[in-house]
Amino acid sequence: MINSLCLYFKSCRMLIRSQMQYRASFLMQTFTQLVMMVTELLAVLILMDRFSVLGQWNRGEILFFFGVISTSFYLCECFARGITQFPPLIAQGDLDSMLIRPRGVLFQVICSRADPRRFGAILIGVLALILGSVSAQIHWTSFKMLLLIWTILGGMALVCGLFLIEATLSFFSVKRIELVNILTYGGRSTCQYPIDIYPRGLQLLFTLVAPFALTTHLPTAYILDKPLWGAGAGWSLLAPLSGFAFLGLMTFVFYRGLRRYRSTGS
Amino acid sequence: MPYIDVQGLTKTFTVRKKRDGHLLREKSTVCALDHVSFQVEQGELLGYIGPNGAGKSTTVKLLCGILTADDGTVTVGGLIPWQSRKQHAQSIGVVFGQRSQLWWDVPVIDSYQLLRDIYRVPGQKYQKRLCELTDALALGDFLHTPLRLLSLGQRMRAELGGSLLHSPKLLFLDEPTIGLDAVSKLQLRDFLLSENHAHGTTIMLTTHDMEDISALCRRVLVLGHGKKLFDGELPALLARYDTMRTLRVRYAGEITLSALPESVQISRDGDFYVLAYPQQQVPTDHILSLLQSAGPIAELTLHERSMDRMIADMYQEMAL
Repeated sequence: MINSLCLYFKSCRMLIRSQMQYRASFLMQTFTQLVMMVTELLAVLILMDRFSVLGQWNRGEILFFFGVISTSFYLCECFARGITQFPPLIAQGDLDSMLIRPRGVLFQVICSRADPRRFGAILIGVLALILGSVSAQIHWTSFKMLLLIWTILGGMALVCGLFLIEATLSFFSVKRIELVNILTYGGRSTCQYPIDIYPRGLQLLFTLVAPFALTTHLPTAYILDKPLWGAGAGWSLLAPLSGFAFLGLMTFVFYRGLRRYRSTGS
Repeated sequence: MPYIDVQGLTKTFTVRKKRDGHLLREKSTVCALDHVSFQVEQGELLGYIGPNGAGKSTTVKLLCGILTADDGTVTVGGLIPWQSRKQHAQSIGVVFGQRSQLWWDVPVIDSYQLLRDIYRVPGQKYQKRLCELTDALALGDFLHTPLRLLSLGQRMRAELGGSLLHSPKLLFLDEPTIGLDAVSKLQLRDFLLSENHAHGTTIMLTTHDMEDISALCRRVLVLGHGKKLFDGELPALLARYDTMRTLRVRYAGEITLSALPESVQISRDGDFYVLAYPQQQVPTDHILSLLQSAGPIAELTLHERSMDRMIADMYQEMAL
């Protein structure tokens, strides 16, 4: 385990070095990412400036929700970039190289890419968390702090699992299937706002199918002292487990798909 | 028990073909390998040949554990490759001539260090092995250069070094000399022979370059349409197709060639007569005496058939 972690960080260092070979391009892309994220944040700020409350939530609380989802989503994209880049990995035959090495396939996939350009986006997410926390005047306790970290980890696992769906589908079809993006990117954009402002259908979709609301909104609402669906401390602590469960399930499905893998060309 | 044991190996692929004017695609199965069996002993150098699409790569992928067999059994050193993939991977090295396994944008040595961690090679053993490979493959000049800046020959050597860092017992080479110049080719062959001698590494070589095969492998395995067609020593294989000889002859003066047996084909190339004859029916000394009696010979050369021709004939005869 420690050996693997070590290997992961060494791989990351090498990937960053590779990217630094094209420094100008790297800086430009980081900048673009940052601008995109700032725009997203501004959209929330402007919206809340206009309406000041959304359902039962005020501006600070909305910002806090936005921060939780953004931080976990972009952290996941930063560290598990390889999973989102899995279809080209198959198309270019890199998966073959991974299969002849004495390490887990999914581990190597994660090691094969890292995206430090997302640091800007993560920073904005953290900024939203801080701004939201101050504005919503959260009473922080050590339990709430731990719950927040736990929630973000659960969110990361969930996003990872969602990305795995597309990776698994690419065993069966070479073309990318855009439909899955509804769940991943659509889920991120939707669930940057608390789930209870949406109609029932969307609520069900993002609670039961792609459980963003269950994994992150439930504990976040508890941190904001406005529990959703009457969930107390215990339920809020359990809820992020759904993210890990989802990841576990998708990992299982991924390895089932791998058995059906037929490699490309010669 | 042989090191590699393949029994009745079968692999089929499902292909979906698009039909004209139909919305749904037609499903058909292609049999890439059809009940192939063979054994390889530890330390053997095996040449694996066959035309494109014969199933060579599929076999290698099955032996590496990349693909799963539909039928039949494979064991390598007692392990079933696709079942004990990680354990198996520790003892094999693979070089795909057309696909890099090292990292493109970083110096070769960085890739090696990462491979060391991936294969968990202990520090001291790694240093010793690295020195050995650096000497044998002359890697010293470009160990600190990014892979993408290397020439094809250098890159091939770097790839080979990378695949041998963990001292595998079995090495798969897929077209290792493709695109290499003469010097690089010879160096590569020498290296493979010495590696085989020094460490008893079993090497399985897939190639279209018959010179590679004749320089390295005593034993060849011929595959066509997913079936094993020949398994034995290279000279025995060639003897069957090594039937024609070509002779080029130039005379000092103008002469007319006549009274040659019917099975001899004659053509002219400038001053030269070019004669092609089946040596079993028309012995060479018979031809020579006929030529000598025709006039004073200024120059004469005798040619064997090129190996590529023989292989082409073989493929043709086997209807590949």
